[in-house]
Amino acid sequence: MNNSVKIAVFLALSYVAVPLALGSNTYVIGLIVAALTIAGIAVAWALLGNLGGMVSFGHAAFFGVGAYVSALLTLRGGWPVFPAMLMAGVGAAIASVATMPALRLRGPYFALAILAYAEIFRILATELKPVTGGAAGLLSIPRLPNVLGLDFGSKLGGYFVILTIVVAAMAAYHLIRRSAYGLALKAMHDSEDATRVVGVNSIVLKAWMLMVSAFITGMVGAFNAHYINFLEPDYAFAGQWTMLAIVSAIFGGYRTVSGPLAGALVVYLVDQLAFKPILPQGHQIVLGVLLGAMILFNPGGMMSMLTAKFLRKEASHAA
Amino acid sequence: MSKSTLCVSAVALSLMLGLAPADAAELKIGAEIPLSGNLARVGSAMNEGIQVAAEMFNKKNGKHTVKVLVVDDESSPAKAVGAVEKLAADGVIAYTGGYGSNIIGPASEAAEKLGKVYITSGGVASELTKRGLKTFFRINSSEGYARALMGMFSEVGIKSVAVVYSTKEATEEVAKMLQTGLGAKGVKVTMHAFDPATNDFKPIVHKIKLQDRPEAIAMIGYENDYVGILRAAKVLKPDIKTIAGVWSLATSKMAAEFPDLMENVSGTSTLSYPAVFTTPEAKEFAETYQKMFNKAPDYLGIFGYVQSKLLFDAVARAADAGTIDKGGVASELRKTKTESVIGKVSFDEAGDNPEFTHRMGQHQAGKVELVWPLEAATGKMKYPALPW
Amino acid sequence: MIDLVAQSLFSGVLSGAYYALIALGLALVFGTMRVINLAHGELVLLGAYISYTAEEKLGLDPLASLPLALTLVVATAMAVYYLISLIKTDRELNSLILTFGIGVILTNAVLMIWSADIHSTTTPWYHDATILFDTLFAMQAELVFAALGIVLVGAVWWWLEKSWYGRALRAVASNRDAAKLMGVNPQLTEVLSFAVSGLLATVAGVAIYTAKVIQPSLGHHLTVKAFIITVLAGMGSVPGVLLGAVLLGVVESLTVTLASSALQELAGMVLFLVVLLLMPSGLFGRAKRRG
Repeated sequence: MNNSVKIAVFLALSYVAVPLALGSNTYVIGLIVAALTIAGIAVAWALLGNLGGMVSFGHAAFFGVGAYVSALLTLRGGWPVFPAMLMAGVGAAIASVATMPALRLRGPYFALAILAYAEIFRILATELKPVTGGAAGLLSIPRLPNVLGLDFGSKLGGYFVILTIVVAAMAAYHLIRRSAYGLALKAMHDSEDATRVVGVNSIVLKAWMLMVSAFITGMVGAFNAHYINFLEPDYAFAGQWTMLAIVSAIFGGYRTVSGPLAGALVVYLVDQLAFKPILPQGHQIVLGVLLGAMILFNPGGMMSMLTAKFLRKEASHAA
Repeated sequence: MSKSTLCVSAVALSLMLGLAPADAAELKIGAEIPLSGNLARVGSAMNEGIQVAAEMFNKKNGKHTVKVLVVDDESSPAKAVGAVEKLAADGVIAYTGGYGSNIIGPASEAAEKLGKVYITSGGVASELTKRGLKTFFRINSSEGYARALMGMFSEVGIKSVAVVYSTKEATEEVAKMLQTGLGAKGVKVTMHAFDPATNDFKPIVHKIKLQDRPEAIAMIGYENDYVGILRAAKVLKPDIKTIAGVWSLATSKMAAEFPDLMENVSGTSTLSYPAVFTTPEAKEFAETYQKMFNKAPDYLGIFGYVQSKLLFDAVARAADAGTIDKGGVASELRKTKTESVIGKVSFDEAGDNPEFTHRMGQHQAGKVELVWPLEAATGKMKYPALPW
Repeated sequence: MIDLVAQSLFSGVLSGAYYALIALGLALVFGTMRVINLAHGELVLLGAYISYTAEEKLGLDPLASLPLALTLVVATAMAVYYLISLIKTDRELNSLILTFGIGVILTNAVLMIWSADIHSTTTPWYHDATILFDTLFAMQAELVFAALGIVLVGAVWWWLEKSWYGRALRAVASNRDAAKLMGVNPQLTEVLSFAVSGLLATVAGVAIYTAKVIQPSLGHHLTVKAFIITVLAGMGSVPGVLLGAVLLGVVESLTVTLASSALQELAGMVLFLVVLLLMPSGLFGRAKRRG
């Protein structure tokens, strides 16, 4: 099967088959929307991790900033929801500029510096009461609107919105990876010194990846704010957003475009449908096990494992 | 059996099942509640109260029975919305439960979208009843906690109070109410916010001791904060006359876990410990609770019980009137005017209970005595009295 | 005002010594293996909960529970080391994600075993006041563990600088292959540093159980504090850990005294970022780039 066929099948399944099959079951659609929300952050995280070569422990920072920007624009500024969500992406990208000094840092230092930013943003959201409402948070955030007879505020409407965000994020990931930038970024991983010599400015490239990643995460945060209609600092900047995204991306394989999405769906749905009923308290222990096992035994992730199997099969057929 | 007979019998069966509830039968009620995550403990306690309410209702009300379907919201707003929707798919008439204003907010909005009543006692933020929801009800509020603390302070004639509060939503709100409420009475109030991650309270208490010199300290936080503040105060010994707090403080658990810290400390409370039950309803409640869970009820169980009992009664009345599908549950609840185990309950347009006032309990020799208001008191307040 | 600031400085120094206890294990492993153990805070918490169980079930004083807690926590630390040693490529980043996962496992295990209730020692002696010069107040537990913190920092420093093992450890850290040629077994020295780190985590856990209040979600918070201190200290500097910890403690308590407690975490984070971004080798470290 070639790639365009695969993509067409995927789009048909997700835009037509899933809504037709499950559209009436709001509970299941709700779970899938939650999984897609995680998938959105996971794609953004993977983009930064794979293309920028940076592991972040603070993507909740961008998620929270995006959520607050969109919520405040609609609540206080009277903006329509969809333009506000775009601005949320822009806002998160601007916030990422504040974190750019950290780009000079090596891996582990960068990862935890971003975590400190998430924490600082959370405290600022708590303390800037006149703007953000403080710890009490924002209630009754406008829901997704009705456009041309399509009610995006419904469960199914929300599904289409977040699905579109995730698909667009995956497309961006794919296109950047294939572009000249992607090649430069790859060269940069192979040898940072060599690229410096040939004139690729690695910091600028990394900064771009950080901004794109923050933009996507901010959009997802904004979607969640309008979907749940509620926001408070502890929720918007919760470590959970980062944690679930990392588990999903690593589990699915963050060096592939489809890995984070597949990872998020499997991790979230299996956690909710299988482990939660067995272990009501502490079922996230399973996520920790998944994460550890994947890093140790299959760092490429689920998707690369499947692809490898598939390729082996094809090869044996050919032979 | 042929295919067609199978179909016919299936249709007949579903007709029978579908018709039955119209007369007198099981009323399904949803409980969306945290049974895991950081609110697991309080959620489980509230759930016990809900189960007791169902048990008592089913024993007493000959005509209807209720069936409570419980879904864990994992202490997460998104999962709470999911739980509300799942329960609606399972055919519940209304919801009881919810803990934490941040979770109740979105969950009750989901219930509103579905046109179903949502009643709770787990969220005290005043924001919740300012949203103009038609189907939201609660039996307690921040005001009730602030009123109780202020009532006790003015009872003993305190002129100055230092308020130490966590920068969480519910705590900050009660603290602000104390500031305005006490200020209006001419009491001098000083405010000290702390980050929820704070674990050394000596710098704050020292500031209070040297700069504010109040007659009382009011702590608005959670269990770990109370322990930290009281330990710091025991070390620094500020010259105050009493120290008091709000929820999760005047409890049997704190008396048992931290006996050396709690003596003479007051906090909001519904019951003394060991509990004294006077009215017949309260006695029956305590007995049923004991039988079902093999322990004495705590305040969370009591609130869970009261909110659920009021809901079940309203649902039963609406079922009799045949108005369940026409917003009957909400209008029946609005007619509620009753004396309950937690005191008077009625609902205003916003669904708030304007009558709600908490009581104050004081740790005395390993027990908790109710000391305010006087008509509910089981003992006399020790004042001035401190844990050191 | 002078009284206030003096007490604030004193409280800050005491908090600092206790922070040092938490951070030392993390800094040691980081310095010798270039691995940030994100499950370190959870190991500390595990020590605290074992101490709680020992007091609750066996009536042991928290300090007397040390041998039991040590055995279990060091064993867990060894398991963590074993898992890290399985990593084949890019150990620096992959160990970060692996230990993060282990932290999630430990936090949830603690939650399942001990539930979400809060706990703290019931031995009142630890919370009695000691007053120095009529103006400086402290809980006895704070003094005990501050002293212990300083002693352990000194001991670890001595061990790294003066003993053969310590020198071997540093040799492996600076050049693994060269150390191998000199007859040092790198694996063995790493096991050793992890074991010592587990020991330090246990003492820190007992300190927290005694002086503060424990709950299952605390572990992650402790790891972050420990990492902040490690950065302030500068990699590889053991005395720096103590100084960095005291600096953090003092900044936090002065923020409370001069501004508001609501801002104390913010002050700590800003201090962390400023040092991280502007001082590449930390405050007290040997020159070493982070870029």
